[in-house]
Amino acid sequence: MLELDGLSKKFKQFYAVKSLNMFVERGEIIGLLGPNGAGKSTAISMISSLAEPTAGDVRYNNKSILKKPGEFRKIVGMVPQEIALYTDLTAEENLQFFGRMYRLKGSILKKRIQEILDLVGLADRKKDVVQTFSGGMKRRLNIGVALLHDPELLIMDEPTVGIDPQSRNYILETVKRLNKERAMTVIYTSHYMEEVEFLCDRIYIMDQGNLIASGTNEEIKRILSSEKTISIKSDQLNEQFIAMLQEHPLVNRVMSTDKEITLMVAKEVSMFGDLTKLAETAGIELTSVHNKTPTLEDVFLHLTGRALRD
Amino acid sequence: MIGQIIKKQALVLIRNPVQLLLLVGLPIILILILGVALSSFMNGESPTIQVKLGIVEQEQEDAQLERFSEDKKGELPPAVLNQLDDILPIQRLKEDVFGSDEAAKYITLEEISPLDKEKVLDDNTYTALIEVPDNFTYEILEYSLLGEENQPSLQLFTNTEHQLGVSIVDGILKQFQEQLTLQTFLQEEAINPENLEENLQNVTADVLTLDQQVPISSKDYYTVGMAVMNVLFIASAIGSIAFLEKNIFVFDRIILANVSRWVYFVGILLSGMLFAFLHLVIIFGFSWIVFGVTWPNLLGFTFVTTAYAVAVGGIAVLLTALSYRLHSEVITNFFSNILVSLMALLGGSFFPLGDSSAFIATLGNLTPNGAGMSAYITLLRGNELSDVTDHVAFLLLFGFVSIVIAAWSFPKRGAAL
Ligand SMILES: Nc1ncnc2c1ncn2[C@@H]1O[C@H](COP(=O)(O)OP(=O)(O)OP(=O)(O)O)[C@@H](O)[C@H]1O
Ligand SMILES: [Mg+2]
Repeated sequence: MLELDGLSKKFKQFYAVKSLNMFVERGEIIGLLGPNGAGKSTAISMISSLAEPTAGDVRYNNKSILKKPGEFRKIVGMVPQEIALYTDLTAEENLQFFGRMYRLKGSILKKRIQEILDLVGLADRKKDVVQTFSGGMKRRLNIGVALLHDPELLIMDEPTVGIDPQSRNYILETVKRLNKERAMTVIYTSHYMEEVEFLCDRIYIMDQGNLIASGTNEEIKRILSSEKTISIKSDQLNEQFIAMLQEHPLVNRVMSTDKEITLMVAKEVSMFGDLTKLAETAGIELTSVHNKTPTLEDVFLHLTGRALRD
Repeated sequence: MIGQIIKKQALVLIRNPVQLLLLVGLPIILILILGVALSSFMNGESPTIQVKLGIVEQEQEDAQLERFSEDKKGELPPAVLNQLDDILPIQRLKEDVFGSDEAAKYITLEEISPLDKEKVLDDNTYTALIEVPDNFTYEILEYSLLGEENQPSLQLFTNTEHQLGVSIVDGILKQFQEQLTLQTFLQEEAINPENLEENLQNVTADVLTLDQQVPISSKDYYTVGMAVMNVLFIASAIGSIAFLEKNIFVFDRIILANVSRWVYFVGILLSGMLFAFLHLVIIFGFSWIVFGVTWPNLLGFTFVTTAYAVAVGGIAVLLTALSYRLHSEVITNFFSNILVSLMALLGGSFFPLGDSSAFIATLGNLTPNGAGMSAYITLLRGNELSDVTDHVAFLLLFGFVSIVIAAWSFPKRGAAL
């Protein structure tokens, strides 16, 4: 359905997106995962025909959309990362305005607005000004507007940033439903790997403008097949302990938060004995040490040496 | 589609009571304050502007006339020569121009002996001194009756501390002298004493129209001043809303709906024009009802308002285009925080700055609000639409040029990010 070929965007000397190759089949949910500044939004705005790439091409049904994006735009629904709504207008007025922009009118528009309000669960708040909405409600309306013209392809740029778990689940379920019931194709951008793992058939991971991994959930995790992840928990973690781990010859990577350290080591290595000795030297007590099943987070750590989220 | 954009723009404006109050309420309050506070300064009924004017005649007109009649006996028919004592220019200036009821309200004319000239020049209470040189009347008669090349002129000494008064006197004298120089008719036509009388009466009549206009009150003045200034904020309000639309990606949504950016552009332009028009109608309508600022010429008012609305729409779309292009609102903020006040000052919204110098008056008329102001004031004084065509043409041209620059700088496709 959609194909990106060496898509790049350069700002001055700096590549926000570099030679991105990607394909999307009809009916798939595609995840685009990456930390802040990875270039996800930049990629999305090129895919949706809003920004012109510095190099490369975007093809829809084997035709480039760069020169004449008109046909493509008709089937694309775009959910921007920002709340792209008039906060001084009511939910209904927003839907009305954007519906008119999509040339919907009269009873068709009315019916469509009601459907959307039901879909995003805002029917009882339709007469309220958007300003008075909670973050989650705004996000839901932001998605609703993108669905007005019943697009085939829905592009969502971090649609769950900064909202409560309930609204978040609602949104995730809605996306799943749209995909199942209406066979809507979805490109879903996020830096939450759980969301992407839950929703997506295939995943692309970006970092600093580059594509660093792609495939199904399982395929990507197989990248870690030669390594395993060890999680160490303690209330007393200190610099000395972390430094010693980093210098340890068998440890490939170390990532630490204040109560947990994640280590990556070769699959066959056993670290138990060494860890207890090091902890003793550093004068701390470990609450738990265990092997973890790898997550996408770990894949990202493996590939970049950094955490997906800071 | 464009209608939808305008409708939405109106909704957004209306939902912002603070902004609305600033746009409509503020000018009304300002009219009230300035109109009352400065009424003594402006009030046409009892002007506080008092001009003390001196006139020095180096040689009495009678003597010159006698000489003239003697010298030109052969050249002019006696009928003409007999009429001359009725049309002596300096006498006309003293009695009919500065001595008229209208002028007498502002101007006290004192005849000064040539010996006292220096003393008067040092006296700060005088606004100006007119000096009539030797042989002036003789030469004027020669010039206008016999077509002599040499055109004499009056000399005006002015007190720079009395700018306003000086400009009044200067204006009257310029018109007077202009009328005198127009008297070349006598060379072409056979000299007819009746003609002569009639034409010279025209001279004084024309000069006096300056003062015979309906005087305008301070409420009139500040209604116009505040309206033309505040409507400029419509342009910046529209510009800000439009820039916000880009910032929160609403503009992207509109583009993705396959709406041409030019449709959006025209939507901005038309909403700027429409809201500016409505704003002016509301402010002037309110002043009409509450302050009694009435428009003798409604057609003229509509024309000027339309032309000014075009100019404001042009500014709105220009601010929008520039902020889109520069990815920043600084231009719009600069406009509303600084430029509007400067333009209002130059255009005379706060006080008649242009009265102090012809240069500033011209400069003021080159701002859209100044041109609008001059046009409105001219109409309020009871003049015709034809008297303001220059200003109307300027406003339309200003609007047109702004639109062209805006269209040229509005980002084309691909720059949307
Ligand atoms: N218009 C621009 N001019 C210059 N640099 C830009 C521009 N837009 C984005 N960038 C840079 O490009 C990089 C990628 O930005 P982008 O917004 O695509 O990241 P992202 O993956 O969407 O991040 P986030 O998760 O924070 O939304 C960033 O370093 C950003 O600063
Ligand atoms: Mg982003």
